[in-house]
Amino acid sequence: MNTESINFQSFLDWDNSPFILFSSLGKILYLNNSAEILFGYVSKQELYDLALAYAPQNFGYKTTTLSLNYDSFTFYAITIGYENEEQISIRFYNAPRIRSTTPIEKDKLVTTDINLLLEANIALFRTKNPNHLQLLTDHDIPAFKIDQNNFSKLLRKTLDSFRASDSINITLKLLTGEHVIISGKKKAIVQLSIEANGRYSDADEEVKSIAMQCHIAHLLKERTIKLEIPLIT
Amino acid sequence: MEQFFTKSEHVQNIIKGFNLTKTLFVSSIIIGEENIGKKLLVRHLFPNARVVSGDDQEAVVAALSEYDELIITDFEKLSNQESLNLDNKRIIATANYIGNKQTIDNLFAFIYTLPSLKERLEDTAHIKALYIKEACDNLMIDMDEMSTQDIPVNLTQNSKSLKSTIYKYLMTHSMNKKDIQEAVHSYILKELHGNNGYKEHLSLYEKPLIEAGLQKFGSQLQLSQILGINRNTLRKKIHEHGID
Repeated sequence: MNTESINFQSFLDWDNSPFILFSSLGKILYLNNSAEILFGYVSKQELYDLALAYAPQNFGYKTTTLSLNYDSFTFYAITIGYENEEQISIRFYNAPRIRSTTPIEKDKLVTTDINLLLEANIALFRTKNPNHLQLLTDHDIPAFKIDQNNFSKLLRKTLDSFRASDSINITLKLLTGEHVIISGKKKAIVQLSIEANGRYSDADEEVKSIAMQCHIAHLLKERTIKLEIPLIT
Repeated sequence: MEQFFTKSEHVQNIIKGFNLTKTLFVSSIIIGEENIGKKLLVRHLFPNARVVSGDDQEAVVAALSEYDELIITDFEKLSNQESLNLDNKRIIATANYIGNKQTIDNLFAFIYTLPSLKERLEDTAHIKALYIKEACDNLMIDMDEMSTQDIPVNLTQNSKSLKSTIYKYLMTHSMNKKDIQEAVHSYILKELHGNNGYKEHLSLYEKPLIEAGLQKFGSQLQLSQILGINRNTLRKKIHEHGID
């Protein structure tokens, strides 16, 4: 089949897996939409170094299975390829997201201003931790459907893991350009990120379990918890 | 609406949390020692909510099926906590202590701890002033003749002991001779029996007399002169009544 006349770029542009083409000096020659988002969480240099480290010995392509994690991105493999001395490409393979098997209980979902629940939980949190806390929130996030009781429990437990932390930063924002599919429908994502100098991890399993019930993607790290909440309207 | 006063930052945060979630369907509980104002606080915040006590399990179950907004007091007294379904309702509970931590954790979205009065001394002064005013009104005592500073603050049972100490203090400190005689009369009527009654009950008069005299005049010598009794007799009585 002659495919020479076909322009494959748009297929690559919209591929959900990040793809980057570097010059031999580490300059970005091309990146697709997904890679653009990835660069929000990792430096150009780090990915270029990664490409060089896993490059095949000779011209050609080499796929390596490894576990990579950048913020909410999790990859299980990368393919590095070069056909000349000028360009080198890296493609990341997205690890499949674990899908919640719990069906959404629509009767429990009530249209809610998420800022109300967040601020109420912060008020509760302040009764336990007097340390400085910074909140950066987007009051323009539209009200969306939330299981108010369960989501509040999730917030309480999430914040509780920062009960002895200092310099706590809480950010609530709408993630631009990212979506999640729920019941076959594309939903925007609201991200709640809490970061501090450290945190307790004793309730991590409970946080994960409630997040799953609420169809909320979660990322729990040593000093950070990020919750990606689907904006169901 | 009942008023709830606080200067405590901790309690103000609890009130803020409640005010923010007032219109939402979330379950909240306030836990804290007895007599610290939990019920007053929730009634102040939710004046129109139906109130049911955990004392009556059947009433709680019935109210839960009937109302979307409900105050459950004495939640720790419910023995069927695990079987309750608080989803999609506005439930505000109060409890003196956490029975099963896991159950409370599963049932409630917001778990607040209300500090005792000992931990809220900024509030205690205000509550003391309120009780003094109430007691003066009820007992028809003119407070101008007394100093509120001298009224002891007893927080062993939070507001209960605080209130009762204030009432007792104001009553005992506003009695006239006739009131005291009546009180002694009533006491003697109840307690007088045996064959050594005179000596046994003499301490009712002698002990406060010597204690107050020593406090007022300092030395035993001076007091013996004031009382018009021999110094040795006074010393003997001090010893008999175990006065320091």
